[in-house]
Amino acid sequence: MNSSLEPDPFFSVRQLSFSFDSRQILDQISFNLPRGSLAGLLGNNGIGKTTLLRTLCGLLPHAGSCTLAGKALEKMSERQLAQNISYIPQRNEISISLSALDVVLMGFHSRLGLFQAPSAGQRRRALEALETVGLANCADQEYHTLSEGQRQLCLLARTLVEDTGLLILDEPDSALDFANRHLILRTLQKLTAGQDRAGLLCLHDPWLALEYCDPLLLLRDARTIVTLHPLMDTCQEMQEHFREIYGPLSLRRCEDGCGRSHLVLLPESED
Amino acid sequence: MSKKKSSLILAAAAALLLLIFLLSLLVGRYPLTLGGLLAAEPDSMERRVFLNLRLPRTIIAALGGFGLGIAGYVYQTVFRNPLAAPDIIGVSSGASVGAAMGILFLSASPLAVTVSAFCGALSAVLLALGLAFAASGLARTYQRSDTASLVLAGIAVHALAQTLLMLLKITADPEKELAAIEYWIMGSLSGANLRQLPVFLGVCISCSAAIFLIHRHILMLAVDEEEARLLGVPVNRMRLAVLLLATLIVASTVSVTGLVSFIGLLAPHIARLLLQRHWLATLALSGLLGAILLCMADILARSAASGELPVSIFTSLLGVPFLLYLMLKKEKN
Repeated sequence: MNSSLEPDPFFSVRQLSFSFDSRQILDQISFNLPRGSLAGLLGNNGIGKTTLLRTLCGLLPHAGSCTLAGKALEKMSERQLAQNISYIPQRNEISISLSALDVVLMGFHSRLGLFQAPSAGQRRRALEALETVGLANCADQEYHTLSEGQRQLCLLARTLVEDTGLLILDEPDSALDFANRHLILRTLQKLTAGQDRAGLLCLHDPWLALEYCDPLLLLRDARTIVTLHPLMDTCQEMQEHFREIYGPLSLRRCEDGCGRSHLVLLPESED
Repeated sequence: MSKKKSSLILAAAAALLLLIFLLSLLVGRYPLTLGGLLAAEPDSMERRVFLNLRLPRTIIAALGGFGLGIAGYVYQTVFRNPLAAPDIIGVSSGASVGAAMGILFLSASPLAVTVSAFCGALSAVLLALGLAFAASGLARTYQRSDTASLVLAGIAVHALAQTLLMLLKITADPEKELAAIEYWIMGSLSGANLRQLPVFLGVCISCSAAIFLIHRHILMLAVDEEEARLLGVPVNRMRLAVLLLATLIVASTVSVTGLVSFIGLLAPHIARLLLQRHWLATLALSGLLGAILLCMADILARSAASGELPVSIFTSLLGVPFLLYLMLKKEKN
């Protein structure tokens, strides 16, 4: 259950440490992600989930190493990093007026030359990506006028066209309604399953993580990250680990109307 | 807004600029006519006024205004702040100190003042960039905000330049040098001549062309810094390169015209209100509007009174009402 150290993992994090203002925020964190996996990062507020994601992306100076398909991320230039990692931050701001299509086209930036503009084929792919996330009718709409949820979908479309080996998404569902939340996670599942890539997304809702992600990475404190595999680990084992983070709760397996099995977390009252 | 409408607005602005450019060639204390110019002898007064004074002055007004317009829009994009203007990293105040030093310590010839103002502007910006670089290197960076460091460094350099300028003014002879410094600060194209043209044209055209060529990269700087880095933008190097290009345009222009930097704030805002969404078209329109504003202001500066008036009076008088009209119209809609 704890960081399964495969001989040749697709994405591997070793002894990752980051401190700020003499405070150790991440202390020798290690974990692996296999090829084709969509991992969910869970943990309490302020525990360092976003910092972990930013550190993995090379945005923060750190000790330790991250390797993707055998290549060290620390040695990559911005351009190479962009060709290998897609990142959706928690908050996104664009200070000028642009269309949703222009925002998606930004995903091709790292593959274009200094004076090169996106090709007709790339524009077509950007439009297809917008269609995939249900924004086909918004291609020409100004990005600022989209709702928060639509913006998240637009950024997911940008991630689709980036076509990278590692997807890192920080709460990509935070502004989405029920249907779009499942759409975005299904899309991410399709994007990773059986593919030459892995995804790591930070989620606040452990139920969604249980539903769509495997493995789950539970960040308990600066130096403890527990890896769970919902398809292999027992409910009892996982429940214990969830309790250490979220307090009293029960993890139950139940079936939906179509007979599909789901894992559900139920809060328990302490009294 | 459709691309067709954007193109129409751009074409209209270009046509208006052409009209004003022609008008600017003819209007002044020595009025010229097209017929007179064509019929004049090669060595006649008309030809000499046209070739040595009026044509360089109009070219400097048009190209300088264009440069200030696009530089303003670039600053606003790079700093991710619609209120950013060339002085945000000390260009204009540096140029003022340079010009004052030229007037006080060099020959006070227009060329010496121009070169000195150019050097002052560049020195101020390099100092601001150096300070920002040192500050961001020292505070290594959990919540990165190199733009904030740059703005703070710009404010510091601006304050320092203003202090220097005050000291220079105190030492200046009130009758001649102080008046010359004040006049330079108010901006005027009356000193524009043929000798200034080659360097001005070279810097302004090459930097403006470079900005248009790398416009897609400048656009990426409007995205949050960390996001931009993970889209493959070498943010710090690109920002530095773009700021230097925009600064060279502003420095080459204000060193010839004096301070007319308000155009750098005004033209991009008007362009944005007219076009809204297409960055490249808005960049071009900012330039065209800047050129129109400066040409019109220069025409008025040399024809509204019996003597030359400062050009900045008219850039504000012409631009502000139009900006207010567009803002009110937008509110109404």
